[in-house]
Amino acid sequence: MLQYLIIQLDDTSTSYCHYYNGKRNRNLISIDTLKSGIMFGMKENLMIQYILPDYELPDEYYEVLESIDHSKIASSGSPYASVADVVVLNGWNKDYAFDIEGVYVLRVDKRTLFEKTSEILKVLKECARLNIVITDVEKFSDADFETYKSVLDSFSKELEALYVAGKTPQLNLLTDRMMLDGMNNCNAGSDSITLAPDGRFYVCPAFYLAPDDEDYGLGKSKVSVGSLASGLDIKNPQLYRLSHAPLCRNCDAYQCKRCVWLNRKTTYEVNTPSHEQCVVAHLERNASRALLMDIRKHGTFLPEKEDIKEISYLDPFDVRKEW
Amino acid sequence: MGIPTTHYHFVMKTRTITFIVTKDCQLLCKYCYLVGKNSNERMSLSIAKQAVDRILSIEDKFLEEKVVWDFIGGEPLLEIELIEKIIGYIEYKLQELKHHWLNNSSIRITTNGLLYCSEKVQRFISKYHDILDISISIDGNKTKQDLNRIFPNGKGSYDLVLKGVRKWVMQFENVATKMVISSEDLPYVYESGVHLLELGVSRLDMNLVVEDVWRDGDDKILEEQLVRFADYVIEHNLHQDRKLFIFEECIGKPFNPSFESSPCGSMMLSVDSSGSFYTCLRFAGYSLRSKKPRFIGNIKDGINYNLLRPYCILDELSQSPYKCLKCDVATGCRWCPAENYDSSLTSTVFERSTAICKMHKARVRAKNYYWYKLNRNRN
Ligand code: SF4
Ligand code: SF4
Repeated sequence: MLQYLIIQLDDTSTSYCHYYNGKRNRNLISIDTLKSGIMFGMKENLMIQYILPDYELPDEYYEVLESIDHSKIASSGSPYASVADVVVLNGWNKDYAFDIEGVYVLRVDKRTLFEKTSEILKVLKECARLNIVITDVEKFSDADFETYKSVLDSFSKELEALYVAGKTPQLNLLTDRMMLDGMNNCNAGSDSITLAPDGRFYVCPAFYLAPDDEDYGLGKSKVSVGSLASGLDIKNPQLYRLSHAPLCRNCDAYQCKRCVWLNRKTTYEVNTPSHEQCVVAHLERNASRALLMDIRKHGTFLPEKEDIKEISYLDPFDVRKEW
Repeated sequence: MGIPTTHYHFVMKTRTITFIVTKDCQLLCKYCYLVGKNSNERMSLSIAKQAVDRILSIEDKFLEEKVVWDFIGGEPLLEIELIEKIIGYIEYKLQELKHHWLNNSSIRITTNGLLYCSEKVQRFISKYHDILDISISIDGNKTKQDLNRIFPNGKGSYDLVLKGVRKWVMQFENVATKMVISSEDLPYVYESGVHLLELGVSRLDMNLVVEDVWRDGDDKILEEQLVRFADYVIEHNLHQDRKLFIFEECIGKPFNPSFESSPCGSMMLSVDSSGSFYTCLRFAGYSLRSKKPRFIGNIKDGINYNLLRPYCILDELSQSPYKCLKCDVATGCRWCPAENYDSSLTSTVFERSTAICKMHKARVRAKNYYWYKLNRNRN
């Protein structure tokens, strides 16, 4: 069921996820479109999330934004970073001053993550929650999987020490799976929808920001799913739901984003993940399992949660015949 | 008792590798799904060899015990010399690599039969007879065949094909053929089926086309034709030694997840004259009405396993609308990933095309009649 409306206020508003935003020319949503979007959200009973640009909005906009319950996503370079609910760091900056109560998205490529692990893991004690988004998951090689495993081990050790010291930092890659009892994916197209400055709806901002001529094989990457004027019109909406994703509905890497944009790019199907997405998610799942067991060695921890069970595969595709 | 036929999902335990050797054909069949047939796209031996090299170099990805080297067109017998050269190369490479398919290979050719009696084809048949499964596509009696399987000048092909069919039935035991049924053919289903059995066909498939061609009332005609056919089969005791897939006992049961799975990704691979790989030739440009060709790789770069994944996990549950999941006679209802793709709104294989729905239900009623008459009739 649709629960969230994400409003991309400007073409240049930061990416907060796997996709790249290459837009450099400002294109602010019109005030009327913004108001209609908010009205749509109210009528559909949706939680609104704004993605703010890196420049000051005219006062009239800010008033409209503040007229309703919402959350704000802004980049670390935005004038709204200090009031944002989620701050996005595009790339690693070791000098950035984190807020101990803050929630951050760190968008890094695998190379940076691998090379700067020891610096990045220090952030865990400097903020309330860190979401690491690897921006080139689809390019992981077998060697990268090995490296990622040891990177996760390093993060686990840091987290274990912090938990033992009574702190409760959150790292999406490791602590989410410990807490979850069921799938908690991105669910773009099913739980959330994006309104872009052109007044059209998109499954997520990635489907709006793709270059006009980008086509991975079967059609343009940029594809809208209706508009404020004509209404929401998602074709084959069931394919965005977990129930219609044959691999994912049988999977227990609950923290996985199950990114439908990456799915479409890598397999041509929004409900079919790539090998790389699955293996990365399972390395995280298995590292979460080990972390949970390690923390429990020090005393009672999440007593209501069962152990995460041991599995022999990293890609559910390899065991599909056993379901 | 009639001979129970196995559900088609369970007979495909072998890898099928299809070479689309030509997109040319002498005929212009009315229902042909190959909308882009042409005489330019002929496979070169060099492309075929590169495809063989590529496929045999990834033995760990093709673990099936057996392989069928399948040659298809257009009309493949137009390229019989090329086919012979490709097979020669395959045999040489299997030997050289000590590949597990050495001695586990067979050859399949599906032809319109027009060149069957030619000297070159006959020489080929005697050379590979023991491992060759050749099938002539014939639609039945003269009326039906000449209605659909016609030359560009409109002339029917029945008389020419019949010569080949008679020879074929003598040369091979248990010959199998597939009769394609489209809307215009319905009044001839009974006569055609009878005719094929009289010619000596021992395994007969009657395929209802999955495309959206069916008109109001077609289901009634099919049902009536199949009931007559069932009567004929039983009265002539043909149920004892012929396999009639149209009356498969296991069809027509409520939706059952154990019947799901598509053989397309995990059992099939096709290559065309450009060296592109597809799961099935229906994803090649010449068979698609409205969508782009859907490759899974090519001879140069190999197979993109991410692109292969959707076909391997495409199950009935994920593609079917609610009416299929709740259908009381769902099993055996044909679906085709490529037709899904071709008719879909979002270029997906996960949007089931259900154009065949009422025709499947008519088939199930006729099949019920057939088994009822065989097992429970007191006369
Ligand atoms: S790990 Fe793979 S199968 Fe599991 S939820 Fe993620 S994308 Fe789906
Ligand atoms: S589909 Fe979801 S996970 Fe993927 S890029 Fe869009 S918002 Fe992010």
